[in-house]
Amino acid sequence: MVVDIAGFQVADWVALVPSLILGVTAMLLFIVDSIEPRPGTSSNTVLAGLSTLGALGAFLVAGYFLVLGVGQPRGTGAVDLFNGQLVVDGMSLFFVVIVGSVTALVTLASYDYLEGQEYQAEYYGLVIMAATGMSLMASANSLATIFVSLELSSLPSYALVAFLKKNRGSVEGGLKYLLVGALSSSVLVYGISLVYAASGSLQLNAVADALAGGSSVPVGILGVGIIMVLLGFAFKTASVPFHFWAPEAYEGAPAPVSAFLSSASKAAGFVVAFRVFLTAFPEVGGLAGGDPMVDWVTAVTVLAVVTMTVGNFAAATQEKVKRMLAYSSVGHAGYALIGLAALNAPDQGFVLGASMMHLLVYGFMNTGAFLFIALTEHWGIGRTFQDFNGLSTQAPLACAAMTVFLFSLAGLPIGGGFISKLYLLAATAQAGSWLLGAALIVNSALSLFYYSRVVKAMWIEDPSADLEVDSYPSSLYAAVVIAAFVTFALLPAFGLLSPSAFDAASVLFG
Amino acid sequence: MSNPWIAIGALALVALAIPLSMMAVSSLLRPSVPEQGKRAVYESGEVPTGDTRIKFNIQYYMVALLFVVFDIETVLIFPWTVIYQDAVANVGLAEALVPMLAFIGILVIGLGWAWRNGAVKWVRSPRAQAQRVEQ
Amino acid sequence: MAIQTQYFLLLSAAVFCIGVYGILTRRNALVFLMSVELMLNAANINLVAFSFHHGNLTGQVFSLFTMALAAAEVAIGIGIVLVLYRNFEDIDVTKAATMRW
Repeated sequence: MVVDIAGFQVADWVALVPSLILGVTAMLLFIVDSIEPRPGTSSNTVLAGLSTLGALGAFLVAGYFLVLGVGQPRGTGAVDLFNGQLVVDGMSLFFVVIVGSVTALVTLASYDYLEGQEYQAEYYGLVIMAATGMSLMASANSLATIFVSLELSSLPSYALVAFLKKNRGSVEGGLKYLLVGALSSSVLVYGISLVYAASGSLQLNAVADALAGGSSVPVGILGVGIIMVLLGFAFKTASVPFHFWAPEAYEGAPAPVSAFLSSASKAAGFVVAFRVFLTAFPEVGGLAGGDPMVDWVTAVTVLAVVTMTVGNFAAATQEKVKRMLAYSSVGHAGYALIGLAALNAPDQGFVLGASMMHLLVYGFMNTGAFLFIALTEHWGIGRTFQDFNGLSTQAPLACAAMTVFLFSLAGLPIGGGFISKLYLLAATAQAGSWLLGAALIVNSALSLFYYSRVVKAMWIEDPSADLEVDSYPSSLYAAVVIAAFVTFALLPAFGLLSPSAFDAASVLFG
Repeated sequence: MSNPWIAIGALALVALAIPLSMMAVSSLLRPSVPEQGKRAVYESGEVPTGDTRIKFNIQYYMVALLFVVFDIETVLIFPWTVIYQDAVANVGLAEALVPMLAFIGILVIGLGWAWRNGAVKWVRSPRAQAQRVEQ
Repeated sequence: MAIQTQYFLLLSAAVFCIGVYGILTRRNALVFLMSVELMLNAANINLVAFSFHHGNLTGQVFSLFTMALAAAEVAIGIGIVLVLYRNFEDIDVTKAATMRW
């Protein structure tokens, strides 16, 4: 099979190069560590540099492919690989861009964060392997490849959360993440087996064809299967009802890992959910007109509203900043679920595209916020709101960056988060779903309250006497500043990127 | 023709009834003489040593993990070997062989890494040493 | 006499429910992992049974992948249970509650 990329006739697997770069990087990290395995002898610079280069490479190649039109109607059209088990299209490349950029920021920041830690090669290897899994999730087009790539991203994540193995919080977070993850992955695979029972196929297009017949489909089995698959994805995206691992795991994990999981892992969970529900179950859900056989749109609407509300109200009552960010990340999962919940709108591509853009902006602003927490952990100042008092007197640049992240997360026009939320609101209005729109507005207003508590502590409160910042770790700082710059730049540059998201989304609706 | 399951059900009943009745009869007939030797744990005629719930050396876990990896690898290679001849005839040697070589290659990198990091090296653990001295 | 497919569905549902019950009631982390194995194997029963029912091999091959991933999951799980034991001197999942559940 040959495809035409930028005038060159190349084999079709070339479209998968971004994921392959990540996979090869992971292997290289293990080879580098095998050459000199005793702890502390592998150069940390080499390890961090190699993983950052790999992630950056995947990000750049995916972005370049997106510009060239690979996998999109104006270029090659969706590239089917391995009999449709994987597909490379606009949406998959878009999410590889998100995953690649978040991974690059996280590995860059980890260089300083992990200073003096043992097992650095393992850390970078696990991060890059998880990133490989996430980029494959973006391309997976069969329930089998979805399950395998989802586990490829989950299993390293469990180990990463428990990475500080002498720290009780980290181990506890890892345990809870593992327990909930194992439970939800078995629920997911049972759901997959029921969908297979009803349709006789695992490849998503074939599932859709088999279910289109209508009359002979066992609706009961199919319905239970679809709900269980939805619950499995709820774990990966940290949505209700499998959200309660998120605060524990994010709080206990090393802060760069929290950033990685809450941004990249969540985005990967969403792309899988989008693809499964829009490729395999559109007719079942009544999106092609007619009565829905299994009304998953309503189910997702309920999940979206509950997730937003639970996440934001819980965040408002927290005393620790990292835990507050963890709950706010649950709330943002609810916002992104609007992409599936508001699909009754006439312009479905707009709804889904708005959700994709929100995940892109969220990738930068949330990663940045957690990396700022990594910075404070590096300085050894406390975790509560009071511990941040007067931090701007010591580190004004980092605090300015954090302010950009927080106000952008809340949806103020200081970063891309403002426009992406506006688009989501427009999407709910188009769908005529006043419930979703009201939930979005109320929760955003509430979120402004608890985000500004951090800003107030940093800029207005007086510093306590012993607050002292003694070092300015350069790579961690660089990662935070880059994330802040991109978050801010996405405000004017939003319109440059959104067409590719809307194009990629509308292709799915044929 | 009656239901063939009736026969299976009857067989199951008989299979349950025989051991239960034997136990009941023997408990009625036998004298009750409890004694130390009868109550002791039976370990193939050896003198029993301690509890079953002892701590194992952690290195058994490492070896067991490596075993699981290659055990599962066999499960995945097996279907491939079954269709290998047909696959070569249909899609050619390269497409039939290269994916499996890549799969094994990745596992070899992992094994090499584990080896270099000492997962298969049987080092003396100080705690196990101390326990042996006590006995 | 071939057994009808709905009996397999019943069997797998029963195994799945036993697994869920184990997860909800047991506090030992290792028993928790065993219960998860039960749930995964319930899915495997379904996959193999319906592979036979539909007359294609997709389900059987996928069940091999499920087994491989179950083994990987348990390998990671036991590693985490080990560090749990070292930090908390116990493998009771409710004991590890320094943050909040």
